[in-house]
Amino acid sequence: MTKVNPQFAKKMSQVESALDVRYCFGCSACVAECPAALRFKEFNPREIVISTLLGVAENLIEADSVIWQCATCYKCYERCPQNVHPVDVITALKNISFAAGNAPEGVSSLHKAVLENGSIIAPSEAIQKRRAKLGLPAFSHATLHVPEASGKGGE
Amino acid sequence: MAEDAYLLFLGCMIPLRHPQIELAARKSMENLGVSLRESSEFTCCPEPWNMKASSLEKWLLIAARNLAVAEKEGSQLLTLCNGCFSTLTEASHLLAQNKGGIKEKVVKDLSSMGFSYSGKTSVHHVAQVLCGMEEKRVLASAKKELGGLKVALHHGCHLLRPSEILGFDDPFEPRLLEEFVRRLGAEPVAYRGYTDCCGRATLNRDASLEMAEQKLSAMEKEDADCVVVACPACFEQFDLGQVEISRRLGKNHQLPVIHICQLLALAQGEPPESLGLERHKIAIKPLLAKIGE
Ligand code: SF4
Ligand code: SF4
Repeated sequence: MTKVNPQFAKKMSQVESALDVRYCFGCSACVAECPAALRFKEFNPREIVISTLLGVAENLIEADSVIWQCATCYKCYERCPQNVHPVDVITALKNISFAAGNAPEGVSSLHKAVLENGSIIAPSEAIQKRRAKLGLPAFSHATLHVPEASGKGGE
Repeated sequence: MAEDAYLLFLGCMIPLRHPQIELAARKSMENLGVSLRESSEFTCCPEPWNMKASSLEKWLLIAARNLAVAEKEGSQLLTLCNGCFSTLTEASHLLAQNKGGIKEKVVKDLSSMGFSYSGKTSVHHVAQVLCGMEEKRVLASAKKELGGLKVALHHGCHLLRPSEILGFDDPFEPRLLEEFVRRLGAEPVAYRGYTDCCGRATLNRDASLEMAEQKLSAMEKEDADCVVVACPACFEQFDLGQVEISRRLGKNHQLPVIHICQLLALAQGEPPESLGLERHKIAIKPLLAKIGE
């Protein structure tokens, strides 16, 4: 049996842009053009929104959750008549899933790369050579020093 | 001529993976008389799919730091990538909205990092700059007619949506880039699934490639000569993607893919061999032949 967790939607309210989740009236306008819904039976932005609202979304934040199939195309954002922004709800769920250590490996390694190198791609010698050949200056990113205390939301 | 000077925000993918796009952007902007400045203080924008998915707070803080760098330089930002554009635009929107006092929190974190931000930075995608330019100025720089080259435009989701925040064009029936390529003498083709996603951010690679393949098929059905993108992620998804599509899905396409700045540089008469186009996985030759190169 799925456990109903009335506190779940509160987690969402920590993510400002997903606040309007409660206005969903289940019209499915967000589903019609969703490319992920088209390809994955288990993926349905309307159901994701409603499950989140009802607090039965624990399965969505577990490892291998279907939420990672969202293409972030923002069609649902544009189509929803209630300003629910399903894609923002999904992003908020992803944040909660990441904080619980359940995000896909690629997401965690990218997160780490950004914080450690200020970049998602390490500047190799080969690329600097290619740049020089094109007459472009050498390129590097600045080092990031993100304060430890920041980014604590989502717990 | 303050409005014609920008601080170039390169992000990660263009300078470190597809520098030929950067080269075309620099040349084409110079040909238009747009001056670009640099800063060595930027980091990744940060990336709006996985970084945002992992921590909205850190995503916002790092974006704010980049906006603060631009503010310090007293300059407006120019991006060549939909990811950079959407991250930086959305971040400045969220800070301006300041829901729940989020701006104060970010400003406090920024100051501990040695930056300050008051909200003065404006963010521009190169497509916006080009589409907003006077026609005669564009034409004065374009020496070469593209001879009715049929281009399948792929704007990319994060140039169009969310439209209320990004404010580039209609999110489902865009018209501006179409008008711009027409000015260059190319013909934009309408195709099925015109504003659909390239699939880049979908985790399952087969599903992701299917999304790109569906668009490529639709473009080919309308006899497009090439795909024109505004983003390095879409570029990779369609260019390298065609190699993967053939391997994983067994469907073969050979549709050249170029960035809007590369199309412009070619129209401005930049010699193709000086643009590093040989690095594209799908040969550009058929496209060059169409425009008489
Ligand atoms: S953003 Fe995600 S949920 Fe919304 S329509 Fe696109 S793929 Fe579907
Ligand atoms: S379009 Fe909006 S109101 Fe309709 S089901 Fe989707 S989230 Fe709910």
